[in-house]
Amino acid sequence: MTSDVLQRIASGEATAVRECLDEYGALVWSLARRLSRTPSDAEDATQEIFLDIWRSAGRFDPSQGSPKMFIAMIARRRLIDRLRKASAEPPMDPEEVLESIAWPDSAAVAETASEAEQAVRALAELKPDQRQVLELGLLHGLSQSEIAARLGMPLGSVKSFMRRGLIRVREYMNIDAEGVAVRS
Amino acid sequence: MAAQDPRAQPPEEFVDLLVKQVTEGLLPDEQRKLDELDAATANAYREELERSVAALTLAGTAADSAALPAPLRSRLEQQAALYFAAEARQSTRAPATNVGSTARPSSAVLDAPKVAELRPRPAQARSAAVGWWAAAACLLLALFAWFRPQSAPTAAELRARLLTQPDAIKVTLGATQDPAAAGVRGDVVWDPHGQRGYVHFVGLPQNDPSAEQYQIWIFDADRDAKYPIDGGLFDVGSRSDDVVVPIHAMIPVHLAKAFAVTIEKAGGVVVSAREHVVALGQTT
Repeated sequence: MTSDVLQRIASGEATAVRECLDEYGALVWSLARRLSRTPSDAEDATQEIFLDIWRSAGRFDPSQGSPKMFIAMIARRRLIDRLRKASAEPPMDPEEVLESIAWPDSAAVAETASEAEQAVRALAELKPDQRQVLELGLLHGLSQSEIAARLGMPLGSVKSFMRRGLIRVREYMNIDAEGVAVRS
Repeated sequence: MAAQDPRAQPPEEFVDLLVKQVTEGLLPDEQRKLDELDAATANAYREELERSVAALTLAGTAADSAALPAPLRSRLEQQAALYFAAEARQSTRAPATNVGSTARPSSAVLDAPKVAELRPRPAQARSAAVGWWAAAACLLLALFAWFRPQSAPTAAELRARLLTQPDAIKVTLGATQDPAAAGVRGDVVWDPHGQRGYVHFVGLPQNDPSAEQYQIWIFDADRDAKYPIDGGLFDVGSRSDDVVVPIHAMIPVHLAKAFAVTIEKAGGVVVSAREHVVALGQTT
């Protein structure tokens, strides 16, 4: 599967829908389950994300990243928007789910997307605290305040760990893309 | 203006806001603070952060292979079919009209098949033999009169037809305390099987489409009431006392239990803050 399916969706080829669902359905569903408050919310979010994908497929640019990156960015934007709107509600936070999610090693993501492999290599260079903050924020959908409360860590430290961690990953991805180190 | 360096890192306080924006979203006062940063730098840096977050997210989901549940997948396919059908119709048909003739539906409509059936049939060419030209001319005149072009039915006419269908439901819309709702009355006619309907208003104020638009919402019994279904955008012109607008549900409506119309920023919103609800009504 390549970017072709997004291009065909952009051109209005409805038959490409099934291919898109085959290829990216599990990814979107996985993200929606992790970053939604309830299973029902996750289903609604999945429908909204795919509607966004149908609408946005024409903006996909292969030179800017893989189709999976494009889909993941669309999905995260929608999920963050929904989380923010629903922030007054208590989060769905089952311990067993939290404990089961963590970063895999780079070999496990080799076939996912090259960007994911770069990200895992960057993670390997982070301090354990930085990794943990990013895990809780990005994989479990916890807010910075929730992470601070969960880890018993000052909010300022959470912000700092998250900022430095993402900057490091950003640098790593820029290095990998152009072979030139970019230091902020 | 000098081109922005996409690698340029904004001051730390702005980086923190951008990080929060792409990981959990910002509160209004945080967004206002971020707006102080120039848009080009903010957009470029946000894009890079989003890419980093998306890459980490992909890495974190690598081992998660749970497939879409079959019922959800089925709904996604239905939703896609509706979406692409509406897109195709929008690109091939003339826009629907309304009673006031100045209100403009802003999204694709779902009543295209009925409109298409009523489009003018092509005039048939006739050849007339020499000596029969007068008779042929009379015949052509008669044919022209018979097949004369008919204008596409207006939204008001389509609404009237829908009202005659036994399955159609009619919901009276009540005005709210919003200033824009003063003196407004209206209703919705909705066909649950055909997934189409019309909003009818009398006295709805003119809007400035470049600043704000009216947006229709459908509350589905099967969905969380916090996230009603987007029913499309519309505008009201200066001479539109009586407005009929087709509803364009973006996803299938299982059981409509209420309808509402809000005023939103131009282009509409995905989730309304419900600051300007001008009308709402419940099904019985």
